Amino acid sequence: MGNGKTNPYRPYLGTVVGIKDLATNIKLFQIRLNDPAEREAFVYRPGQFAFVSAFGVGEAPFGITSVMGHGGTVDFAINRVGTVTGALHALRTGDVVGVRGPMGNWFPLEEFRGKDVVFLGGGIGGAPLRPVITTMLDHREEYGELTILWAARLPSLLIFTEEYDTWRSAPRAELHLTVDEAEEGWAGKVGLITQLLAQVAPSSENAVAIVCGPPIMIHFTILELRKLGFTSEQIVVTLEAKMKCGIGKCGRCNIGEKYVCLHGPVFTHAEIAGFLESFL
Amino acid sequence: MKVLSAEGLRAWLTTLIARGPLIAPVADGPVVRYRRVRSTDDILFEFGRPDLPLKEFFFPPTEALLHIWQGEGEVQLTEPAWDEEPVIFGARPCDVRALEVLDTLLLAEPTDLYYARRRERTALVGISCQDLRPECFCASVGVTPDDPSGMDVMLTPLDEGYAIVPLTERGERLLEGVPLTEVEGEVPRKSWPDGDVPLPPQAVWAERFEDPYWSRLADRCLSCRLCAYVCPTCRCFDVRDYSGGIEPGAERFERLRCWDSCMAVNYRTIAGGHNPRPTKMDRLRNRFYCKFLYYPADFGPVACVGCGRCITHCPVNVDITEVLSEMEA
Repeated sequence: MGNGKTNPYRPYLGTVVGIKDLATNIKLFQIRLNDPAEREAFVYRPGQFAFVSAFGVGEAPFGITSVMGHGGTVDFAINRVGTVTGALHALRTGDVVGVRGPMGNWFPLEEFRGKDVVFLGGGIGGAPLRPVITTMLDHREEYGELTILWAARLPSLLIFTEEYDTWRSAPRAELHLTVDEAEEGWAGKVGLITQLLAQVAPSSENAVAIVCGPPIMIHFTILELRKLGFTSEQIVVTLEAKMKCGIGKCGRCNIGEKYVCLHGPVFTHAEIAGFLESFL
Repeated sequence: MKVLSAEGLRAWLTTLIARGPLIAPVADGPVVRYRRVRSTDDILFEFGRPDLPLKEFFFPPTEALLHIWQGEGEVQLTEPAWDEEPVIFGARPCDVRALEVLDTLLLAEPTDLYYARRRERTALVGISCQDLRPECFCASVGVTPDDPSGMDVMLTPLDEGYAIVPLTERGERLLEGVPLTEVEGEVPRKSWPDGDVPLPPQAVWAERFEDPYWSRLADRCLSCRLCAYVCPTCRCFDVRDYSGGIEPGAERFERLRCWDSCMAVNYRTIAGGHNPRPTKMDRLRNRFYCKFLYYPADFGPVACVGCGRCITHCPVNVDITEVLSEMEA
């Protein structure tokens, strides 16, 4: 992480090689690390995150949304909400950024083998789920039914829309979309992801549910999953926190004695339920 | 025991000033703090527990992590060099214990380079306390006012001069050529009262998490963060980039790390505005839980050395010893 042995606060230098609009105020940034040795060393797994620097403004942590080996870039879906993300949105291809990572734990995909997997992605929370979906589609035979429940506040905020056909048409996979509020041209479902979950009602038998989204969405989605018979161990979430270091030093991301950066960001609901402090 | 006269001590410190930075307690207006000194005349030889801890020499309030040079399509990063070999004179046992507490976090892999290099290259000349301030409760958290652990050299004030004990190789080297007098007898040790502030067991903290006590206590908290800034073990930090000047075709920036505090209102606020610690109660409670439950669980030691500075400086008298007694009750 960082540049490894010497200084964990020093980012790798990378070049923005691709920028795509994903949704209103959400862009996909594809970054290629400049140094071939560093590119080689940057080994990451679905669920891990990294800091991206807009030099001169600052750095912030983002879930990595790409999969190792797919194109050789490290990709981030970034929602423009503040100073650093504003500066990142102003970048053009060819600009140099910093990347510090990979950090944190990852989704235990080996434990998910042979199981049905339910994805619950809310808004930009879909970003860290996408590499899990991509990996499972790449190794389709290793996993059971894939039920993707994908939600956003508005249709124009749905991310990775270009991939929906691929997800839908994969064997034993289904995609269900919902939005909190319709916009012109939206013929799909309107309602919260919890309502969608109740309608789709995936079986909890030999299944696991992976949840990411705003804290309030995670909270109510867990309640709904529990109603469907998912145990705390069958629910895996990835949490967001403000961070300054990503390596357990800065103190920012603690939930009780757990640091989202060191002990997470991926936790089972059983773990979260055991925290002294609420993530909410 | 080996003894150094008061004049001998001044002469030794004068040679240390000539050799490299000497940091020593000084009177900065009404505040006693550690500062680089150029003459032994600036040094306070008799002083109580300084108002500000030694922490700032190892973990400065503001510190450049990186120098950033950004040109067209090009960025260069350099780490600020730091190659001093400072000596700190007059370190108090509580402050050095606090460094050992910070070591468990900042020296853990991946090591914090900036803190580590200062720790590695700085010599600590300690001096045992002769009096306790009313707020001192170090004995309650396992520090004694004459505890030499972590020091390179330890001084104990005598009626005339100082008993002096080198404790490390670095300490021996510092004292090379310094004329010490051999005096019969052991280094005198004062007897200090046992600590009377309880350290509640972990289970108690977990049980009292939702206690209405925390809201009552937080009613008067001003969220001013003084407690964190004077605390020798608080280490939360923020990182930001600042402009360092423009030159033709390029701009320089500094990536700065600055002290921060979990008392800050938006400390935990995430993108989108959700704040998992929305009330003063949540934040003040976190301060005490961090010190006595979370830090020990994650890194080992209790993150409090009983220096009492947060008690001295809190404008509304939030008293950490009262909190501990309340938890024990």
